[in-house]
Amino acid sequence: MVGIRAVQRAATRQQILEAGLELVRQSGFGKTTTGEIAKLIGKAHGTIFVHFATRDALVMEIIKAIGSGLTDHLARMSSDSFGLGQFLDAHLAVLREAEELHSALLQEMSSLPASARAYVMAMQSGVSARLGRALQVDIDKGLARPFDKVALANIWIALTNHYLLNSDLFAPGESVIVRHGAALKSQLLAIIEKEPIHV
Amino acid sequence: MSDIHCPSCGSCGFPMESEDDFAGGNRDASYCSTCADSNGHLKPFDTVVALNADYFVRHQGIDLSAAVELARTLLQSMPAWAGKQSTLQ
Repeated sequence: MVGIRAVQRAATRQQILEAGLELVRQSGFGKTTTGEIAKLIGKAHGTIFVHFATRDALVMEIIKAIGSGLTDHLARMSSDSFGLGQFLDAHLAVLREAEELHSALLQEMSSLPASARAYVMAMQSGVSARLGRALQVDIDKGLARPFDKVALANIWIALTNHYLLNSDLFAPGESVIVRHGAALKSQLLAIIEKEPIHV
Repeated sequence: MSDIHCPSCGSCGFPMESEDDFAGGNRDASYCSTCADSNGHLKPFDTVVALNADYFVRHQGIDLSAAVELARTLLQSMPAWAGKQSTLQ
């Protein structure tokens, strides 16, 4: 049986993580301090370090939470029977849900722990694997021409990352995914479109 | 729309969705079928590093030696492998 203290401990840990996610969403990783997280949840500063040995350890847990959010939402919103267009819609919707977090992660990568980059690359590999399956669905149905799956996934990741990284330039003060997502999707689909048949 | 939460592999963080993703096809397993054997026991660290590096190479075309380094860094950030050293190049 799980004791009350263990339940409280888990709840406090979760509170810290959620406060960290909220502050990173608002101001990015660099400006989010453990002191502000403690203040937001009304706990003593030292409480943070009861649950996370260092700030970097907390930062990594925040990054893992961003990653599992992406994974869970993709699992909920997509299916192995999806074609590429449906998968891209799902991925864009998932990015939109946590747009500020993904932007912060990409923009501040160089100042984050080395394992952050490894984790982001793992997330991207997961997106690539799903995108490859979706492309194969379209190829099997005769809807897309054969195309290197890794290359297509890298083009998509590069496109979305470029817009998220520079969201202040592409869509100042608004969602870059809402403003440009549909165009990015069309550009990717055009690459694998079958040649029109001229008669 | 169902409320899906994918448990993550305690070794590599890979989201485990289908039965095949879990070691031994057992949904109670803590590790994925890549990192653990069919009994749910973790494979040796170097083996898991190599398998995770291969995933990076296959899905993103990352250079093999860079992928090995990424995989090692990723795994060492997971509780299952904290402080573990690898000899893989």
